[in-house]
Amino acid sequence: MREVAGHLPGLSAEEVEWRVLDFAAWGESVQVSVPVLSEAQALALAARVRENARAYLKTLSVAQIVATLDKAVARLLDRDDPWRRKAEAVLPIVTGYDAETVRLGLSGYLRTFRAPQLQRFLAEDFANPGVLDAFQPAMKGGFTRAHGPELLLHVWAGNVPGLPLWSLMSGLLVKAGTVGKVASAEPLLAGWFAKVLAEIDPKLGECLAVVWWKGGDAEHERVWLSQADTIVAFGGNAALAALRDRVPVTARFLSHGHKIGFGLVSAAALDTRRAGPLARLVAHDVARYEQQGCYSPQMLFVARGGRLSPRDFAEQVSRELAGFARRHPRRALSVAEAAGVASWRTTEEMRAFDGEGPVVFGDAADPWSVVLVEEAQPLAPSGLNRTLKIVAVDSLDAVIPLIAPFRAFLQSAAVAAAPEELFRVAALLGEAGVTRICAFGRMTAPEAGWHNDGRFNLLDLVTITEIEQSAELAAEGFADYVD
Amino acid sequence: MVSRGKAWLDVTEAEIIEALLAFIDRDEASEAEFERMALDVFAYQFANNPPYRRFAIQRGRTTLTVRDWRDIPAVPITAFKDMTLSCTPPERAQRVFMTSGTTQGGVRGKSHHPTLAVWDRSMLVNFRARFMRGLERIEMGILFPDEEAMPNSSLAHYLALAKQECGTADSEGFIGADGLDLARLTAALERAQASGRPYALLGASYSFVHLLDALAAQGRRFALPKGSRILDTGGFKGQSREMGADAFYDALSAALGVDRSACINMYGMTELSTQFYDDGNAICPPVKSGPHWIRSRVVDPVSGRDLPEGSTGVLVHHDLAHFNCVSAILTEDAGIMVEGGFKLLGRVDGADSKGCSLAVAEFLKAARG
Repeated sequence: MREVAGHLPGLSAEEVEWRVLDFAAWGESVQVSVPVLSEAQALALAARVRENARAYLKTLSVAQIVATLDKAVARLLDRDDPWRRKAEAVLPIVTGYDAETVRLGLSGYLRTFRAPQLQRFLAEDFANPGVLDAFQPAMKGGFTRAHGPELLLHVWAGNVPGLPLWSLMSGLLVKAGTVGKVASAEPLLAGWFAKVLAEIDPKLGECLAVVWWKGGDAEHERVWLSQADTIVAFGGNAALAALRDRVPVTARFLSHGHKIGFGLVSAAALDTRRAGPLARLVAHDVARYEQQGCYSPQMLFVARGGRLSPRDFAEQVSRELAGFARRHPRRALSVAEAAGVASWRTTEEMRAFDGEGPVVFGDAADPWSVVLVEEAQPLAPSGLNRTLKIVAVDSLDAVIPLIAPFRAFLQSAAVAAAPEELFRVAALLGEAGVTRICAFGRMTAPEAGWHNDGRFNLLDLVTITEIEQSAELAAEGFADYVD
Repeated sequence: MVSRGKAWLDVTEAEIIEALLAFIDRDEASEAEFERMALDVFAYQFANNPPYRRFAIQRGRTTLTVRDWRDIPAVPITAFKDMTLSCTPPERAQRVFMTSGTTQGGVRGKSHHPTLAVWDRSMLVNFRARFMRGLERIEMGILFPDEEAMPNSSLAHYLALAKQECGTADSEGFIGADGLDLARLTAALERAQASGRPYALLGASYSFVHLLDALAAQGRRFALPKGSRILDTGGFKGQSREMGADAFYDALSAALGVDRSACINMYGMTELSTQFYDDGNAICPPVKSGPHWIRSRVVDPVSGRDLPEGSTGVLVHHDLAHFNCVSAILTEDAGIMVEGGFKLLGRVDGADSKGCSLAVAEFLKAARG
């Protein structure tokens, strides 16, 4: 199978150099051609996107943009649409996630980008989204208007399908001329989305480009970074730091580093009736996307004192993970990933043999691992790919000192607790740096309009132009109707 | 061999040491002979190393069930960082070798040695065969701190032993408290070049990069006499700029006049008592192999099962000389079995996540600051 990545308005395939990335999984393979642009081509493309956005995208109303995005999302939700069929066929091979995970994940994710959700998204950041279209009266007096970037560059990372769409749509909602750099691990979906948009509104399709360069390629990065006024970047801290060092000081740099998700289970949730379904939801969050997402749980803190002990609960989660593995096999791991899983698990096993240590569930060859520790342990990554450490604690309050030292890496936490405890613990988690608290089963599916990493994701992109009251009043003095 | 009539519980440390020294002194060993010795060493470690015994039992591998050396359970090297794996009380150790801690958030893995007799014999017999290649002694320049500066470094001990047992009297070390003593080293290289006698330069790979950079800055090159050789080990570890293997050996060859086929890379670990060598680096990656008391496998790290020859997996080494800790270790090195040994394909410890979730490697890096 062959696929072509990217979306390059104004450039024909013949004039561009292509590199082929090979992917194989589930007994199939796909060759993906990714574009390698020369400096001149990149500069011309940047200018073209910027100019088209100025001439067209910025003249559209937000409502029109929402309508177009809604149409594009509807096509990708339609399982008979050729683009959707292509995504379902190809993405499992590219990412290694099983077909069902990709199908369910795409639908669940795209559903959060229909028109009502996009409107909610806008309302979350703008009391009056009309500021994106025209000057609006301000509470303090005068008028304000919000402008998106002239050229917004996204640097995407990772292979969790769909993550790029979220920042891509954010940029379009604020009418930014948009260039997205896809990750080598999943170079396709963003380009397809751009093509769908171009089919629906060809002129809009000219206002965005999807490009590729090898991550860390300083020469390519320098060209694009010199052109963008705003950069949204995803990746590990080392990659982000290298990128940031090359960003012109006049540009706005918004970064989303890697994060570590975790969950908290209160004693109240651990009775015989509730624990089973809860364990299933935990297993779902662990297995979905193989813990590759920043919102995926890597550690679980379980309170003692419920009907079921943390150990009972760990056993239930293990059973659910085993069941999940039958329905959704774990994706094939690279040698490095397999080594990471094995090293994590065996190290825990060895600790278990060195006196009062952890309990390790399952067999080394199982496609999942659960470890239970009875003593308090600080938050730490698991081996990923369905590996989970469960830490028994006396109360959920005891979790806070265990996570607080890692503020820079905190984002999502799932909480299973009664309302009063939920709000009390949420306050403590928020102080510690957690920005998203959700239910188990929803960790990998943030709700529409969420604030990724606790930021105002649309508001962060815009600059505000204010007409101060003085200008308004002074203008009155220059009107020809003045007496 | 330990006498067969003896119950495994009763094999003493002295007996296992004696058996191992005799085993190392043989010219070679068949797989069956290796297996017998390996099972004896496993029995000794199973009896005397409690955490390892529990690990083996959990894996369903006991002295009763293990019949094949390949079934001896391998311990991941990270375990050496978390716990003491020693058959004798650690306080009785004559020497404790520690990893540099550069890759694991500053935590250092430890290997306890109640005696260095086996370690030294293993090193010397193998070193003579693979590096000295028939020479009794050779003038050596050492590009690594000495044992006094780094008492817990197995490499410092290795190089000290090489210099003492196989170096001529005028051999010397060139890394001091202030780093590379370039003036003294270039003087030694000049003398060697003029003398016509072969010269050996041994040390950490990154020290060679520092040397290459210093020589390039001065525009200097040497043509060391025929028979001269180089031994580098350990990679760059962030201590120097990273160089590709071909660029590295081309540069060494050009700067010192030593053919790439005489540039030997040693692959060793703190968690082993035996080293692997290649037969020069004319072509990279070269085939690495060890002596008859160490055998390697390439496994699927999750299942621990052997992979067919030609598949890439993670290396497991069974080093009988590492008798006091555990002999079977699961490394963090990717490799592939080939005719005559294995090829080393780099480390697999730093797998990043494919998405945006934080993985262990980056977490440790951050913890280290």
